This record gives sequence, structure tokens and C-alpha cells, in this order.
Amino acid sequence: MIKHMYHKFLLHLSKLCLCLLAAMFVLTANAQVRDNDQLTFNNNVTIASIIDRLQSVYKYKVSYDADLNTTKVIHLPSTRLRLDELIRQIEQQAAVNVKNMGGNLIIKQLDMVSVNGIVYSGDDNLPLMGVTISSNKKVLGVSNMGGKFSVRISSGANVSFSMIGFELQTTAFAKNTKDAKIVMNVVSNALNEVVVTALGIKREEKALGYAVTKVKGEQLTDALSNNWTDALSGKVAGLNLIRSNGGPSGSNKIILRGESNLTGENDALIVVDGVVINHGSGRRTDTGNGAYLDSESPVDFGSGLNDINPEDIQDITVLKGPSAAALYGQRGANGAVIITTKSGRIKKGIGVTVNSNTAFEQISRWPDYQNEYGQGVDGDNYYSFGATADGASTRSTSSAWGPKFDGQSYFQYDPVTHTGGTTRTPWVAYPNARKDFFETGKTYTNSVTLDGGTDKTSVRFSATNVKNTWILPNTGYGRNTVALSANQKVTDKLQINAKVSYTNKASDNLPSTGYNNQSLMYWNMFWVPNGDVNWLKDYWLPGKENINQSYPFSSFPDNPYLISYEMLNKSTRNDVLGNIQATYNFTKEFSIMVRTALTSSYDQRSQQRPYDTEKFRKGMFRTQSINTQEINNDFLLRYAKQVSKDWSASVSAGGSMLVNTYNRADLRADSLLYPGVYTLANKAGVLVAYPYQSKYKINSFYGIATVGYKDYLFMDVTGRNDWNGVLASATSTSNVSFFYPSVNLSAIISEIVKLPSFISYAKLRGSYASVGSGGQDPYLTSYNYVASATFPGGLYNPTLVANPDLRSLRTTSAEIGADVRFFGSRLGLDVALYKSNTKSQILRNALDPATGYNEAVINAGDVQNRGIEITANGTPIKGKSFNWSINYTFSANSNKVISLTNDLPLTLQSGPGGRGQVVAQVGNSMGALFGRGYERAPDGQIVYENGYPQLTDSVKYIGNTIPLWKMSMGHQFRYKQFSMSFLVDAQYGAVGYSLTAAVLAEQGKTTNTLPGRYNGIIGNGVIMNTDGTYRPNDVVAQDISTYYNAHYGRDNVEGATYSTDFIKLREARLDYSLSPKMLSKLGLQRVTLGIYGRDLLTVTKWPGFDPEFGTLTTNAQGTPTIARGFELGQFPSTRTFGVNLTVGF
Amino acid sequence: MRTKIRIIYLVTLILALCTTSCTKDFKELSVNPNAVDHPLPQALLAQAIADIVGTNMNRSQRLQNELMQVTVNMGDGDGKIFRYDVRKAESDYLYRNWYLELTNLNDVYKGGIETASPTYQAIALICRSWVFSLLTDTYGDVPFTKANQGKDGLFTPKFDKQQDIYAGIFAQLEEANTLLKTGANVASSSDPVFAGNAAKWRKFGNSLYLRLLLRVSAKTELNTPAKITEMIDTSPSNYPVMASNDDSAILRWTGVSPYVSPFATWRPADWYTPKLASFFVDNLNEWSDPRIGRWATLSEGEYAGIPSGYQPGQAPPSKSTLLTSLQTEALLGNIMNYSELQFILAEAAAKGWTTKPGKTYYEAGATNAITLWNLTVPAGYLGFQQVKWDDTYTLDQKMELIHKQKYYALFFTDLEQWFEYRRTGHPVLPTGPGFFNGGKMPARLSYPTYVQTSNTASYNAAVAAQGADDINTKVWWQK
Repeated sequence: MIKHMYHKFLLHLSKLCLCLLAAMFVLTANAQVRDNDQLTFNNNVTIASIIDRLQSVYKYKVSYDADLNTTKVIHLPSTRLRLDELIRQIEQQAAVNVKNMGGNLIIKQLDMVSVNGIVYSGDDNLPLMGVTISSNKKVLGVSNMGGKFSVRISSGANVSFSMIGFELQTTAFAKNTKDAKIVMNVVSNALNEVVVTALGIKREEKALGYAVTKVKGEQLTDALSNNWTDALSGKVAGLNLIRSNGGPSGSNKIILRGESNLTGENDALIVVDGVVINHGSGRRTDTGNGAYLDSESPVDFGSGLNDINPEDIQDITVLKGPSAAALYGQRGANGAVIITTKSGRIKKGIGVTVNSNTAFEQISRWPDYQNEYGQGVDGDNYYSFGATADGASTRSTSSAWGPKFDGQSYFQYDPVTHTGGTTRTPWVAYPNARKDFFETGKTYTNSVTLDGGTDKTSVRFSATNVKNTWILPNTGYGRNTVALSANQKVTDKLQINAKVSYTNKASDNLPSTGYNNQSLMYWNMFWVPNGDVNWLKDYWLPGKENINQSYPFSSFPDNPYLISYEMLNKSTRNDVLGNIQATYNFTKEFSIMVRTALTSSYDQRSQQRPYDTEKFRKGMFRTQSINTQEINNDFLLRYAKQVSKDWSASVSAGGSMLVNTYNRADLRADSLLYPGVYTLANKAGVLVAYPYQSKYKINSFYGIATVGYKDYLFMDVTGRNDWNGVLASATSTSNVSFFYPSVNLSAIISEIVKLPSFISYAKLRGSYASVGSGGQDPYLTSYNYVASATFPGGLYNPTLVANPDLRSLRTTSAEIGADVRFFGSRLGLDVALYKSNTKSQILRNALDPATGYNEAVINAGDVQNRGIEITANGTPIKGKSFNWSINYTFSANSNKVISLTNDLPLTLQSGPGGRGQVVAQVGNSMGALFGRGYERAPDGQIVYENGYPQLTDSVKYIGNTIPLWKMSMGHQFRYKQFSMSFLVDAQYGAVGYSLTAAVLAEQGKTTNTLPGRYNGIIGNGVIMNTDGTYRPNDVVAQDISTYYNAHYGRDNVEGATYSTDFIKLREARLDYSLSPKMLSKLGLQRVTLGIYGRDLLTVTKWPGFDPEFGTLTTNAQGTPTIARGFELGQFPSTRTFGVNLTVGF
Repeated sequence: MRTKIRIIYLVTLILALCTTSCTKDFKELSVNPNAVDHPLPQALLAQAIADIVGTNMNRSQRLQNELMQVTVNMGDGDGKIFRYDVRKAESDYLYRNWYLELTNLNDVYKGGIETASPTYQAIALICRSWVFSLLTDTYGDVPFTKANQGKDGLFTPKFDKQQDIYAGIFAQLEEANTLLKTGANVASSSDPVFAGNAAKWRKFGNSLYLRLLLRVSAKTELNTPAKITEMIDTSPSNYPVMASNDDSAILRWTGVSPYVSPFATWRPADWYTPKLASFFVDNLNEWSDPRIGRWATLSEGEYAGIPSGYQPGQAPPSKSTLLTSLQTEALLGNIMNYSELQFILAEAAAKGWTTKPGKTYYEAGATNAITLWNLTVPAGYLGFQQVKWDDTYTLDQKMELIHKQKYYALFFTDLEQWFEYRRTGHPVLPTGPGFFNGGKMPARLSYPTYVQTSNTASYNAAVAAQGADDINTKVWWQK
């Protein structure tokens, strides 16, 4: 199999090489031939004989100062060279200035000084090769492999150091200088950026055949959010975030270029300084079950990805497609987000930076609550708390179909006695009751950074403290991160780097999510308009502390203050992330890197529930200890060579060994002996244990070969073989090994042919990749009996049939793109088109349960993604004091299921109580939402019966839950010491099911349920005549709650589904920086004060809080996930305002 | 040159390492540390039985109570089961859970052979018969001979005719009876029903045999009345049956994990959302039956229900509900009790399949149903007009008498009340103006929809043989 693929691959490769060569030939022939008259001299020759030969043989006129030392011997690099090269050699070696005035050469003696030193790259402090050193527009030389240079200049002249991708550095040297340190800063908007690609290999962007996007660290901290990945929104075309909305430490799922894996494992690979964290500390550690009325609600405890300190991030490279990430192997098939953290800089003394950030979070949107009618079921024309003189009790409902607020008085709840009042009190609404429960969220982030370095050593240390209190009372977290980065050049040949960060994150309470008793939003939907939230603050009945809660109305929900102060979800997490790496240069061209990387997380969590909570009458206490670790050892050999003047080539080869272990101990006391005592020893029954452990290994070898021609044609070929232990079984390892290749090409058209002058840069690129993946779920290959948690010594059969013959899945992708820049790079446009297919997926196929099993593991399915990504940037105004620049992104992705097992539909996500499903169906998108909807007449009108809209018996297609396109636009302005920026983004073309809207409408809580109360309503639609024809509906619906229930309630998936289109003012920021003059007076390096806002404004028709939602729940495959499609009791959306102060010493 | 040699060395070394170590440990690591690959019967049995009983109780509450007018889950929306509006989605839960547990029961049988324990074999056969009878009585034709072989790659089992399934069940129950003649008791911890007592399992097996023989007694193909006669009259010593309430097959929920009633974790508000129906409450009131005090709440000082099947939009005010104490009630784990057997025998007597007097069986059934709940039979109970047995009654009158009592003996017992109603039409239930489905009691549940997609050919064949896949197609023994 592999051999066959290898042959195929070679065939492809040779075809590609032929094409490339043909292209080069044609292009070379067309290139302009410049004046390249070659002059011939001996290698070592005196100035006098040069002058002589120039005059006699080449007919130049030469004049020179009388005191010129004509006996000086010049060493020429070649016996044949052009005039300008000859002049440069004479100038450099004889300390003279030579001018060519139309064939007249004038040689003048100069006062020369010699300067030597090393050029470093500002971002990583590594020596920089190939930097052009020039003075007075004359090129003096180029830095070598070690970044070293040595030039002679006339005393006091400016020397410029330039390299594409770096800011120009100009320094004047008045006297002889040794060991000068030149630090070149990276330019973000340069024609040719240096980017970090797979395996941490730095490449010039122009040589890449695939799309990459770089995001700078500042862009992440400009408008800080609780989860820094929020800041990627609108900055990377083709990047989608699915947010868990799970509270202050809510997770995000990062999806690049659409979802392809039917199992839901579509997250991009997250790599921090070469350490892949996804399946190590990056594992989301949520708990609980489904989001809809399950035994226990999910809680999002976050992951190591949330815990990365954004202040420590230097930059992020997003490799969107498998082509880009092919070298990362099976885990790169969904693209990769490569995070590089900051290192120490070379500078005099120690740099100290203090950064302080304060953010306030407020709820930004609310459902459209009605405040005209109070508590009651349909038809109640009075209110009575308990049976009173007015009539039977009407208190035990959460619905608001009751009497109108008309100035009357009723017997109502008395919060002092926790029972019915003895006198009638005014019947009034408390419009803010649902809102007043929430608080302003506050986040304080303070960090100190120390860094410094010499040419041999550089070190950076940072410490960050975050303190958060969230919008729900008694929720929030604290986080401390310390990070250390050290680079040491042991010898000229050996360099050692180490990076380590340690994070401790602790929370005394994180909120339960979803629609359930432990979740606040469940209460929030159930609270009635005539209730004051202050009535609930005494959440125990008098004299019944810890035993009986006080809740005046329907016994479905729990008291929200009881939830906030007694139903606690605690977590203490320790993450360690680090790597040590050594690079040894055998020669200038040949080096080896060895590295060991570790990501580890230890999370101790607990959940406690008091007595009398609806789901745990006798209380509950559970603890989990979760230990996750991944160790990866790898090496990389690199050999790079400038083969000839025009040809360069490099070969890298490496291998890695990965070991992943996961240990989880879950102990549960689901009823307690004594109320209010939360220890495992206080169990009332048996302590139930759910242990789980897993371990797997993946070994790999890989290689990359690159060829470059004349700095404008480039080709990369990669290959990788994985041996994935997940695919092994106890008897066989025959399926564990799989190979996959990629190839990519890049051509800088603007260097090859002469383009109109307004085009400053044009690049075309193309790539093809095939990536295999064996998944990361071990133990799917052998049949095993599951240990029962509750029955001593008990076992039961699995419901999943194992597959001893499980194979790897395969993603193939192709991409073409263009990067064109106009008007001196004032305007840039990058377009990428891609197509990818993920085949032979590892699926859990539903079986007829009569087989004795629910599912079988099989290889099947093919999902295709096609799309376009556009990134544009422009600088309309570029001046000394005023600057205005614009960034724009657009991405559209079309997802299509090509095949499935026997082409049977596969349910990916199920809605609340089985209402509605997201189903993968051949020919449809993976986001297709199905459910019951309106019965419609042939002309599309809603069919009514007895005045009520009718629902279909079977499910129908409702809409697509994956957006058609996303777009963003950012503006940055700079005026003198002020800078201002804002970012707007939008999404179009998707729908979502809103449980919040459905439940509120069922209970008559929103304004859309007001029309027709107590007079009835005639719905807009048709009614069927006895002969099967239709007439306009003419029947008055009297039962108004049934009417609105049928329209907007949970069962009507169509009626409860709304557009998730939105436009958001995502970020805005205003900064003031002190002027350099001011700074030097104060003795400071940098002072910046900024105010910012995040998610300031949302324009949408979504009836709940935030159209951008994800739900922490269990998918149809039984895996916990952040699902799209169904909003199941989302938390309020918030807007953030913040102040940020940075001081550098 | 030296560089080149170095590269060659390195590459050679790497390739050498690769061939030896790239798959090292893989086989060992592929063994799941959280599970075992071979079970003993005692490890599987207890949870299987507990899960089946839990499954049955769940749907007894949701389906049977509504269809059989125990409760009324009020509302005018669609999918209201008390109105006979049974949606296809209701079919999934039982079909799935019953078949999944059959996989465990099959392993108990296999383990019984491997460990040379005829008792475990017999227990597995009895439980399998029980579960397959539930399946076929609920759905009609279902996979039987080819069922539960997914482990061996059989993913599309064919459906068997109900008649053949019953024949198969009877053969298994015969086998179990024979095995248990010599079977020793097994580990008490592995058996939450009879604590490993082989003799009690034998009695239960034969009682179950009688239940199922009676169920298909109207069909001539299997000639079950003759078998009933044989078991009761001809060779009773060969077929011992339950002799008292102590022999009843009940998983008594102790409240101590793992034997916690599945209702114990329900929210009380969910438990008492369905209101008691007047049919259920009125009979008990008329009989002055003390069981009502264990089952129903008082509503304004009295036990009262509401009529099922009321007109939509004309909901009556709700009255009594089920007591929340039932959420932890041990006796709701009923599989088959002694009273039910007595009513089975009473019906057999009334139909002349035994020479023994029907009255004795009937009265034993009625009184034991009350004493099972640890209650005292009210003085003169058997003489009350509505309870009293009269040998002169017509068969129909006797059937109504037996089945009214049996209805209460089957309280929360899987779907037995419904099965018996479908078989006999007794007890006669009041009809309401708000019934859907033409006022017709559903005759079965339709097959779950995914069977249609995941086992298409077999499903189509079954529908072709049995009739349209809807709730009004009669199963074989109803025809």
C-alpha cells in the first residue's frame, strides 16, 4: 500500500518538477539582459595595473588623487567581473571612493574606518544571515551564516542594514568598531514576512505555496477577553470560533476552513513553541452531561489553551489547510495555530515592562420581555398565592399568561414570612428582576516582564496575575502565570534554548451551563414578571438552613442565590508547558536540532450541591482528579545549500516520539449524610468511582525538501510516515503505519516578468497535500467489557462494536492562491481557493439495536469543503503625523457530505429532548438542521386547524447551522501620539435553534406573545376545506398559550429556529503614548495608556442573547463537545470596557 | 565529504531504529486498562436485571400509565399518550434497551456453560424469554434467531414471526425448567431478585411460562391451553410455580446503591406532573381498597382522579397524583408477582383448561395483591359487590372481574396491563371525547425509525409480512 503510494507520489513529483523546469526556461528566456560586460583581471593585482588595464583594454578614462597608494594589492574574488563589482572591491580594500561619470572614473582617497559585528533578528535574537549592508546607496556586503559582517566605510558615514521582512536599520560609525550588535526588527506589513511553519521551521513567506496568516501579540492584548482566542475573531480569514458560552473560563473551539470530521473532532492543532497541546493540557476539562435537563449540567473548566498568557505571546501563525500543516502529521489535518512566545532581547541592562489592565463586563442584550401580564396559566383572571378568599392557588406555575397589571391588588408572596401574604398587595411588574440578579464582571490583569541579553545569552521572565469576578454572583477565577525563556549560545556551533511556563488557575465557583436546575439561565427563563428578585435573597427557609430552600413559585427551578452560593463547581488547575532544545551546527550548511517538549496538566475539581436541590434531594459531592500529560521528543536534521548562483536547496529530515497519558479519577457521593458538609466521607450511600486511564504512542519520521530558483520560484516537497498506536490491536500492528506527502509551489511573478509599475509585488502559489490520521481515541480495536461503576465486581457489554481492522482516515486538499500588492504595498490583496476531502473517517455507525449494540466503529464517509478566503489591506493615508490603514477579510466555505456508510444519514447533534437534529446527509452540508415544522399548503402558507398552526409529523429540512460567509473590517488610525482602531465583523447565512426564545414564548414571557390575549387571534395562513382545497384561516384561536406554544414553542423546530446573522463592533481601542521627548525626561522607555471595548454593539435578529453561540453538551456520538445548532440556555452576552496601562523602564 | 559521511551514518541509524522500535509496545498498549475482555456470569447478571427492570418502570410510567388510564399527563399539545397520540419517537427507548440487555443475558448463558452452572444458564434463559416476550408483545415480529450477533459482524438481523418467537420462548422455558431440576444455588450477590435461589427461579420460570402460554392461548397454532392443562393438572410436580408472595419475582429497591429506584433521582415536580385518572382512583375507592393510601395523594381531603381523554381545551381541574413516596418504593420493581399468577390460573379455570375452581385462584389473587403491600385486607372485601366472585357469571363477567383486579396487581409492571387489555379487552376502560387515533387503543408500537435505515431489507420484509408499520397493525396473537 505504502509502496504503491510512494510510486504514485514519485510520479506526481516528477511531473511537477518537469513543469517547474519548463516554466523556468520560458521565464529566463524572456528576462531582460542587463549590461553585463565582464572585465578580465588577475586575482591579485595592484591598483596601478588595474588603472592601466582599464585605460588600455577597456577604454575608460581614469583620474586619481596624487597621494593614492597605487601599489596597494587588491584581491579580486574572480578573474572575470563587472565594473561595478570591481569598483566596490577597490573602494572596500583601498579605502577610496570611486565615481563613474559616464565612462570617466575618479578615484578619491577617503578617511576610512572598519566596522565588524553581528546582525541579530529582533524577534528571536538569532543571528541573521543575508542582511545587506550598504552605505550611500552602495552595497558593501552581506552578513554570513553566523550573522557576521565586516565592512569599511568613510568615517561618520551612515551604514544601512536591510533585509526583506525587517525594518531598515541605519547607524553611523565614526571610528573603527568591533563586535557591533545590530538588531533588526521584524516588519509586520513587509513585502516578505518570515513566518513560522510546521515543525517550527522559519520560512520566508514568499517561498510558501499555501496561505498563512500572522497575528501579532499586540493584536491579542489590545482588547483583552477572558479567553484570549476571542481576539482571533475577524483577524484571520477562514477561522471560525465556536464558543462554549460557558462562563468566565469558557472554552472556544477553533475551526479552520470548515468542519470535515463527522465525529466532531475538527479543532485546529494548537502548537506553543513547538509543543502540541491539544491532547495534553489543551484538553477541555468539562464535566456533566447533556445541556438539556440531564442528571448534571455541564461546567466548562477551560483548558490549557485558555490558560496561555496572551501577554507572553510574541505572535501567532495560522496555517489554515492540511498542505500547510502536513508536516505536523495526522494531527495537522485540521490546520494549525502556531504560537510563538516572547524571548529576551539583546539590549543594555534589563528591560522592565509593567502592564496593567482593568476590564468591566456588562450584559449587552436581553430578550424582549413583556411586562404587561403576570403569573398564571391561560385563562387565570385573578391571582392568588395559595388558596385565599380570592380563590384557589395560582402560584405554582412559571407561566405569565395570568392577569394584566391593571392597578389591582391580590394576595401575593410575602418574602418576610416566606409564605402567602395576609393582605392584598398591588399587582405590579418588576421589569428588572431578571436583570438585577447579574453583576458587572471585573477582570484585573497585571503583569511584569523582565528581559535582557547579550550576544550569547538572552533571558525573559514574566509574571502575570489575573483576577476575575464574573457577571453571576460568586463566580470567577484567579490565574497566575510565570514564564521563563532562556537562549544560550554555548559555542559558535551549539545553541540551547529553553522555554517553560507554569500556570495556576483556581476558581471557587464556575457556573453550570445549559438548561437545567443547576443552571442560572433555567431559573432566569422561569422567573415571573410579578416577582422581585430580592424576594429570593434569603434562600433557606427560616430555621431550615441547609435543609430546605425557599422558592415561592413552581417547584421546577431552584433558587438562583442557592445556585450561586451553595451549588459550587470548584477547580484548581496546574499547567506546565515547556521545551528544551539544542541546535548544533556541524557546518554552515548542516545542523541538527534535538528537542524534548512536555505539556502537563493537573486539575482537581469538585462539585457540591446542597440538600433540597431539585436534582439532588439529599445533596451531592463529587471530586475529579485529572492528570494529562504529553511528552514529545523530536529531532530535525537540516542541510541547506546555495547550489549555484541561481539554485538553492535544502533538505530537512526528522522524527518524533509522542507519548500521551490521561488519568482521571472521579469519585461521587450522590447523597450526603449530614446537610452542608461537603466531604467524600459524608456520603450517605456507596461512594461511586469512575476511574479512566489511557495511554498511546505515535512515532513518526518526516522530511521536507525545498528548491529555490533565483529567489522567485520555489518548490517544497514533504513526506511523513506515522506509526499510530491507536490503530494497533492486541494481535496486530498491521494498520498502524501510514505515509502521506505534500507538495507546494510558489512563483514571484513580479520578479519574473515586468509588471505595470503600480503592481509592486505579485505571487502565485499552489499546493497539494494528503494527510492521514488514526485519531486519538484509543481502545477502539478490541472488544472489552466495561466495569460497572455501581455494581461491585459488575461488568457489562459495550454498546459499541470494536473494529480490529480499523484504518487511518485521509484528508486530501488542494489550494491555489495569489498575493498581489499595489502602489508600493499601500494596497494588498491575498486570495486563496481551496478544496479538501476527508475520507474513510473513523465513525461510529448506528446499528439496529437488535444486533445487540448501538454502534459499530467503521471506516466510512467522505466530506468535502470548498472555499475562498480573501484578505486585503490598505493604507489610504500615510503621513508623518497621520496614518490610516484598513484590514479586510472575507471567507466563504461550502461543506458537503459526499458519501456515508451505505449513504445512510448520520445524526451529529440532537436537539433538546430529541427535538431537531443536525444530520449529515449525502449531498447536504454537515450543518443541516432537521426537525418538525409548520404544515404548509402547496403555496407555502401555514396550515391551521381549529385556529392553531399544524406541525408536520415527520421532520423536514429547516436550515443550515454553518454560516455561508464571514467578513471583517478593521481600521487603524494614528495621529501623533494617539492611535485609534476598531474592528467590525459579520456573519451570514446560518440559523440556530433557540431554546431561550422557545421557553420564554411557551411561558408567555416575551412581547411576541402579547397579541390576542383574552380576545383570541386569527393566525396568518390557510385552513383546509373538506374538499382538500384551502381558504384563508378564519378561525379564532381562543387558547392563546396553545397558540403561541404551537408557533414558537420547543416542539416547533422551525418556529424556534432563527437566523444567526450578525454584525458586531468587535473591538475598539484608543491609545495615547508619551512622546520620546517626554519619556527621556522621565527616564522611561515607553508609556502607553489605552481604553478599549469589546463586543460593543451587535446588530442581529437573534431573539436570545448572542447569535454566536456554542453549547457545551454531548454529541450524538456520545462525545462531549461544543456543539453548534442548538442554543440551550445561553448565558447573557456581554460587552467589555477596559483600561490598559503599559510602562517600560 | 565528512558531512556526507555523517549524514549517511545518521540516516542509517534512524532507519535501523525505525524498523525495530516504531511499533514497540503498541500491542501491549492497545489493551484497554479500564475494561476486561472476559466476563463471568455473576459479573453480568445483577446489573442486567436491574437495568431491565429500570427500563420497564420508566416506560410503565410514561406509556402504560397513560394508555391504561392510571394517570393523565395533562395538556393539549401533540404527542399526548393518554389521547393515544403515540409518536414514532416513543419506540426507540424500549427496543434499544431491551436488546442491549439481551447481549448481557446471552453472555450469562455462555458463562453458565463455561463455568458448568446450569442455574446461570437457566436464569439467562428465563430472563431472555421474559425480555423477548416484552419485545414481541410491544412490536410484533422482531429479530430473534439472528438477534444480538453484532459482535460477530451480523449487522442486519432478519425479523422472526411472532409465532416462531413464542415457540422459541417456550422451548427455552422448558429447557430452563429442566436445567433447574438439578441446578444449585448461585452467588446471592449476583441476583437481586431471588438471591441466587435456584428453586425460586424455577417457580418464576414456570409462572412466566403460564403468563405467556395464556397470552397466545387464542391462537390454535401452538395449542397452548393443552400445555396449561398439563402444567396445572397433569404434572404440577414437574412444573413448580409460585406458591406465595414470597415467591414473587420483584427487584426490591433497597435504596442502597446500586439498588436505588430509578425514580429516586426524579424531581418531585416531574413525578407528580401526570395526574391520577378517575378510572384508576374510582375502583379503589369503591372497593375501599387500602392500596390507594400507598399510591395516591389526597386532593381536598379525598382521593379523586380526572377523566382521561377529555376534550382539548376543556381540561378539568387536577385532583390526586401519585405519591412521591413511590419514587423510592421497593415494590415498583415488580417483574411478576404471585397475585398475577393466581389471576392467570383463575382465567384458565374460567375457560375450562383446569378442573380446579376459579374462585379460589381469584380470591387468592385479590387478597395477596393487598397483602403484598403489607396491608390488611379489609373485612368483607371479597364480599363487596364489585369484588365478589360468582360462579354463575358469564365468562365475560368473570374476565372483567379478574382483569380489574389484575390491572392493579400489574401496577408499574412493564407494559403488562396494556398487553392484557389488547388480548382481552378487559378491564373495560371509559372512553373520552378527546381520544385521537379514532378512539382506538394502539395495538403495538411502531418500529424505531433508525431500524428502517440501518436494517432496511429486514425491516421491509417484516413490514411486508406483518402489515403496515403503524400503531394499529395487530400483532399475531391479537389477530
